[in-house]
Amino acid sequence: MSSADTPTARSAGASYGKKIMHDVFSRFGAKLGLTWIAVIAFVAVFAPFLANSHPLLLSINGEVSSPALSFLTSGDVTVLGVFICAVALYFLRLSFTKNIVVLAVVGGGIALLSIIFVNPPQLTVYEQYRVNESAANYDWVIRAPIPYSPKDYIREQGDTGLEAPLSNEHRSHLMGTEENGADVLSRMIHASRIALAIGFIATGIALFIGVILGGLMGYFSGVVDMIGMRLVEIFEAVPTLFLLLIFVAFFERSLYVMMIIIGVTGWPGYARYVRAEFLRLRQQEFVQAAIVCGLPLRSVLFRHMLPNGMAPILVAASFGVASAILAEATLSFLGLGLVDNPSWGQMLNQSVQSSTFNWWMAAFPGGAIFLTVFAYNLIGESMRDAIDPHLKRKS
Amino acid sequence: MYTYIVRRLLLMIPTLLGITLVVFIVMASAPGGISAQSLVEGQNLEPQAKKALEDYYNKLYGLDSPAPIQYLRWLNNVSPVGFTFDEAGNLDGFSLFKGSDLGKSFRYGRPVTDLIAERVPITALLNIISIPIIYIIAVAIGVRAATQRGQSFDVGSSAMMLGLWSIPTMLTGVLLIGFFASDQYWHWFPTSGLNDRVALDMVFLPHWGSLSDILILIFSVLFATAFFIWMSRWSKPYTRAACFAVIGLLAGFFMADALPEKEQGLITYLMITSLAAALFGAVAYAQYSVLRVFFMGLVGLGIGFIVAFYFQEGPFVRGFLLDRAWHLVLPIICLTYGGFAFLSKLTRTAMLENLLSDYARTAKAKGVSDNDVLWRHVFRNSLLPLITVSASLLPSLLGGSVIVESIFSIDGMGKLAVEAVKGRDRELVLSITLISGLLTLLSYLIADLCYAIADPRVSYE
Repeated sequence: MSSADTPTARSAGASYGKKIMHDVFSRFGAKLGLTWIAVIAFVAVFAPFLANSHPLLLSINGEVSSPALSFLTSGDVTVLGVFICAVALYFLRLSFTKNIVVLAVVGGGIALLSIIFVNPPQLTVYEQYRVNESAANYDWVIRAPIPYSPKDYIREQGDTGLEAPLSNEHRSHLMGTEENGADVLSRMIHASRIALAIGFIATGIALFIGVILGGLMGYFSGVVDMIGMRLVEIFEAVPTLFLLLIFVAFFERSLYVMMIIIGVTGWPGYARYVRAEFLRLRQQEFVQAAIVCGLPLRSVLFRHMLPNGMAPILVAASFGVASAILAEATLSFLGLGLVDNPSWGQMLNQSVQSSTFNWWMAAFPGGAIFLTVFAYNLIGESMRDAIDPHLKRKS
Repeated sequence: MYTYIVRRLLLMIPTLLGITLVVFIVMASAPGGISAQSLVEGQNLEPQAKKALEDYYNKLYGLDSPAPIQYLRWLNNVSPVGFTFDEAGNLDGFSLFKGSDLGKSFRYGRPVTDLIAERVPITALLNIISIPIIYIIAVAIGVRAATQRGQSFDVGSSAMMLGLWSIPTMLTGVLLIGFFASDQYWHWFPTSGLNDRVALDMVFLPHWGSLSDILILIFSVLFATAFFIWMSRWSKPYTRAACFAVIGLLAGFFMADALPEKEQGLITYLMITSLAAALFGAVAYAQYSVLRVFFMGLVGLGIGFIVAFYFQEGPFVRGFLLDRAWHLVLPIICLTYGGFAFLSKLTRTAMLENLLSDYARTAKAKGVSDNDVLWRHVFRNSLLPLITVSASLLPSLLGGSVIVESIFSIDGMGKLAVEAVKGRDRELVLSITLISGLLTLLSYLIADLCYAIADPRVSYE
């Protein structure tokens, strides 16, 4: 992983960024990490079709219907729409900025439309399908691979409760059930959305604040730098976890507030990196030339300087995604996370709250957190090795 | 130098002000925020009593005044220099020596200073034990990995350290408690706290019933440790690995045997024995002699103790010290592994940079022995990043102990912080913020000063 097996045959025309990316993803560790994240992303997008108590398709007296589709929430529809749009964009091969703009517009549009038009039934009775199926009321049924919703407590069968993986001969729970009888694997699949979203959006917010403040500090230096560094110090001097706790404890608990909070407490690290890069870059000729040409400040900072100082920031961001996921898990574990929806940290907390120790309730969600964090760390590590000139020169 | 220190100390004041201001704004602007109502909430009281209690809290903590006034009042109380008030709350005068007062906790009704003074030694104990462990393991692994660059130890340890670093502390804590402390599996360690009730009445040191027991203990421990260390020095790796795999097999068998009836089964036996055998064999096979000697010595020590306890006859009192150590094992494991994983990677990078530098090559060319180059030249120069990180290690350990302390129910600063935040205890939250901020800033300063000591080229004149 750390061995500098840099590919020697590179296309001469490729940009520095492309070369680095090629270098990064030719490493074993980065490939491994990317694969795992792709798996998680797939699972997160198609969660309602992978783990759902509503059958995917069923036929009553020759009439075919799909409860799974009719019970999709507006959130599910948005996620699916954005995913399809992203896949389409990948094949269209537009420029990076255009991609982002199109994705944002389409995502926003779908979200708005789905909020207006998608109305899943308020009342969900998970038991009806199983009852009907055992009474042979259906002609045929196609069920999801894991036929349990995250909040399906299987109440109609009285013996439910804690079950070890594969211990029940009537139902198959690959990863067991929690105390109320809900399927652990199904909860984990639906929680993967939270982990993924928190990681990207919280890091995005932190990166946004960090790049702007750090850029201004590095470019202007002097008094701006002095004040900015005090601000950075203020946020760094309190342990991040404690700061997070304060923020979370005093505000309402929703996914979006959590993302913003993790982002707002995470920016000082990026600001430091950007500042250091910009302090180095501002003396260089191309920056001086851009200033002399009379380009506006925005252009100098973000079109000319930022792309040249982006590499170490991306490394930090990769590690940052990992720590954002960890932060959410920790908060949920301490009982300050989301209330209604399962998240991996909250499931870990659940395993502590119960009176007995049930390894499947701790090991599976905890293992998922570990693997995801590890995947991001692997990518970050590969990126750091790829952009490190020291390792290349001396090898 | 002194002007530099004074300047840095003065720069801390605006930072500390900013920290408390940020935290106060968060608390005050939160919906619900801090008010007498939120304190009284949940207590089942008659309306009059409720009103009276609210008035009492309002008067005691000044909760009915506007937020900026509340902050300024708190600031005035905390700062050693400020205005003084008389009994009725009227402005009395300005004093330079009024001393700082952190106020009273809402929830506990006790002075914050007392609460913190109770909790700090516990967190300090955890950190004082874990920091040296972190540094020793990190240096041992990092230096070795750097010198063996690109070989199997380097690649393996790099991957393993990255993996360790990624394991969330709460997972480790939950699994360790679940498997090694709950009576469902191995009930070897206590689940919570820092000592048993009974241990408070015990003598400090462990006591044995008779002299022969002590002799047996000393003899068996010494013999077993010496034997295993001797074994770890054998030159043939395969013999070592085979011998040790057999010992691992036996240990695994006893471990599986110690499980309660309902958990036992053929698969469990096979899994545990093969796992133990593989671990023991792999360590014994390793080229790195320090690791081997350390691990095997530890195993020998353990076997010596077990044998001694098997043969002893008289009564045995474990004493306060041993009880405390017994309680500390699991929390310390949770606190250290992330730290040394991170630091060992850092050590490796720093060592590598210096090992490849010109002066190291010059020293080697002069004929300085490899060991001297490594430890006298390269290692000293690689210390700088380790010093820098030690500054950020302190706050991170305080943060890390939040999780560990709440998992293991240890009443330290971390748990106090969580309780304060959950209970919306304004004085306590602000004080903890202030103290942890002050500690962090001081450790930054100390790290910068150490930098100058370690590297004569750095000067702050």
